[in-house]
Amino acid sequence: MKIETIKEKLVEAVSRAEKVAGKNPTLPVLSGLLLEAKDNTLSIRATNLDLGISLQLSVKVLEEGKVVVPAHVLSAFLNSLSKEKSLTLSAEAQTLIVNTSLTRTVMKTLPAEDFPVIPEIGEDSSFSMPAKDMVSGIKAVAYAAAVGSIKPELSSVCIIHENDVLVFVATDGFRLAEKRVKVKKAPNFERILIPQRNALEIARILDSVDDDVSVSIDENQIALRVGNIYLTSRVIEGLFPDYKQIIPKETVSKVVVLKQDLINSLKTALVFADNFNQLKLSVNPSKKQFEIESKNQDVGENVYTIPAALEGKEILLAVNHRYFTDCFTSVAADSLAISFAGEGRPVVVEGVGDKSFTYLVMPMNRT
Amino acid sequence: MDHRQLWDGALTEIELAISKPAFVTWFKDTHIVKREENTIVLSVPNAFARELFLDRYHTTILKLLRDRDHTIHAVEYVINKEEPKRKEGRDDKFFGMSSLPLPEMAVNKEDNLNPRYTFETFIIGPFNELAHAAAQAVLKKPGIMYNPLFIYGSTGHGKTHLIQAIGNHIKTQSPSKRVYYMTSEKFGQDCMNALQTQKMSVFKDKYRKYDVLIMDDIQFFSEKQKFQEELFHLFNSLYDNNKQVIFSSDKHPHFISGLEDRLKSRMSAGMIVDIPAPDQESRTAILEAKAKSQGLTLSAEVIDYLSRVVVGNIRDLEGVLQTKKKKNSIQEESIYEKTRRKEIIKPRQVIMYILREDFSISYPSIGDKLGGRDHTTVIHSCEKIKEDLKQDQVLSQEITQIRNLLAV
Repeated sequence: MKIETIKEKLVEAVSRAEKVAGKNPTLPVLSGLLLEAKDNTLSIRATNLDLGISLQLSVKVLEEGKVVVPAHVLSAFLNSLSKEKSLTLSAEAQTLIVNTSLTRTVMKTLPAEDFPVIPEIGEDSSFSMPAKDMVSGIKAVAYAAAVGSIKPELSSVCIIHENDVLVFVATDGFRLAEKRVKVKKAPNFERILIPQRNALEIARILDSVDDDVSVSIDENQIALRVGNIYLTSRVIEGLFPDYKQIIPKETVSKVVVLKQDLINSLKTALVFADNFNQLKLSVNPSKKQFEIESKNQDVGENVYTIPAALEGKEILLAVNHRYFTDCFTSVAADSLAISFAGEGRPVVVEGVGDKSFTYLVMPMNRT
Repeated sequence: MDHRQLWDGALTEIELAISKPAFVTWFKDTHIVKREENTIVLSVPNAFARELFLDRYHTTILKLLRDRDHTIHAVEYVINKEEPKRKEGRDDKFFGMSSLPLPEMAVNKEDNLNPRYTFETFIIGPFNELAHAAAQAVLKKPGIMYNPLFIYGSTGHGKTHLIQAIGNHIKTQSPSKRVYYMTSEKFGQDCMNALQTQKMSVFKDKYRKYDVLIMDDIQFFSEKQKFQEELFHLFNSLYDNNKQVIFSSDKHPHFISGLEDRLKSRMSAGMIVDIPAPDQESRTAILEAKAKSQGLTLSAEVIDYLSRVVVGNIRDLEGVLQTKKKKNSIQEESIYEKTRRKEIIKPRQVIMYILREDFSISYPSIGDKLGGRDHTTVIHSCEKIKEDLKQDQVLSQEITQIRNLLAV
């Protein structure tokens, strides 16, 4: 193999693919990136056998062929280059030789013939949506999924198709995030579960993509195509809990605050939070007071009064700091509505005037 | 030689021929799922492995298997869907957290039945008496009496409820029986997938193992030759083994256009029953039951009125109830009261508008029903909503939603 290419193009593609490659896999070749030169195209492939990516770049192919290089080596090397405009890559014996105007590099390679094929799904059963919407849907909920749960459906992002809306939802059993994203063309599936790690990786790879992404789904995998990128992830078999029925319908008290005010107060509160990151929320509509209290026996304590519009009954409950604050970045509005359905019931956080995002968090058992 | 011995033998040879990491990555989690005539179905850990096996190891695997058993002619690969077992990673951060009261799954995965549909909640009226009796007969002797049972009727007449209730009942009656409910669309999709991925044997096997197979909305099969053929063979195999088959459709099998004659005759071989539209008494009974189950109290006049006005199907009736419940959560009495409070007036006007536009009820009778109002008030209300609709996006969306609920 021998190719000549603009550095920037290669850097961009390699940084997209690099994270997909396996970390310490049993089969060493899976920690590498496959570079295959053919018909004036360089395709770069990576997989950890759970998620796979394939990228196409148009380059000047001087000699066809393929080679596998360790992903982190190639990526670190390319990122370290600064002034070079173009580079030539050529495979010789068990090495890849990279020449630029300033450097000459020899990299050890892995056996290319052992590199697996990235499975494809036909495009005939696909729908498309702006990549941005897919990314915002995933990002708004993925953090709420469980990490390494024994229930696979809880460590995934569930995407449900409801009329002209895709509902992204994830829960770890303690909190739940739901984001509704409008789609123009109705997708041809009811619901799928994508492993959380893969969902986050998909969001990362598609993050700066402006075009529409075409999505195909079959019983084993989901495939996304956009521009020169092809991504495929395993889907999880399992049923996502029917979560709609746990969203409290009634509200005992409600607080509307400026998001920034709340974030500031929580920063202060965190300094004095106990080992369980417990925050006490006290809502007192008759006194028109919304207070956050944190107390650590070894450090001290703090009470923060936040300007807020309050309604309903007086209520006092405790929440976990991290679980409470996790959702704030997903709310686009600058004001938050926090609704309480009573003690021991989920607290609901929504953006004011934004029905697309809902977050539920269980209070802590106060000790 | 059983499957395990057969595959272990082959694996030993493969292990010798390839590197250890490659063996661990690709072959460690493989096993023979089953043998179907001359085809061995092999379970592989992921889609990448399947590609690789098809691409690189297929001939080797086939040869190794044939060396041990020369009657084997083909190998198919299926992806193992079971998640690798993990230990529960419950750490300190959960301390003191109560968990969300997440419900158990609504639909049972094994049999796809919705446990909500039972005979206890099935309301029997003159219109569906016959269908109910036929269902009861099937319950007594599944597979023997009335096989297949074919139930047809328009949408919303309770076909799905009835056939799922049969499934749920058989399940409680004899838990060892394997019951499966599906829509014909699902069957079609499965068949298509199996064709595309060349896994017909898995597909065939899946459906032949059931003792009771319930297939909803069979009319979607018309004009689909390949599915019909698969269904025909599946039906024969189930029927010959005295397995109960239950179909539902919106038409009598003879009137489903594009359905092959041989299927029509098979479907007509057992019992064919029709569920016509519910009569008014049944509608009243259904409304009462549904209102009760949703925790809604409706006066006798309201139920009587609704059962007269909404002559359509049961789903319409349900829709009306939902509408009442959802619509700005207005107390139903207040709709009839003489009040000018804004939050009551608007929904009342909307109700008038919908009754007029969609159900073409005369102005005076709308006024009469909604608390004895003058017909000019009604005309005014309808005109007002019409006007508002031109400007108010939200209102128009609400009305569309209500209409959807009413399935008008």
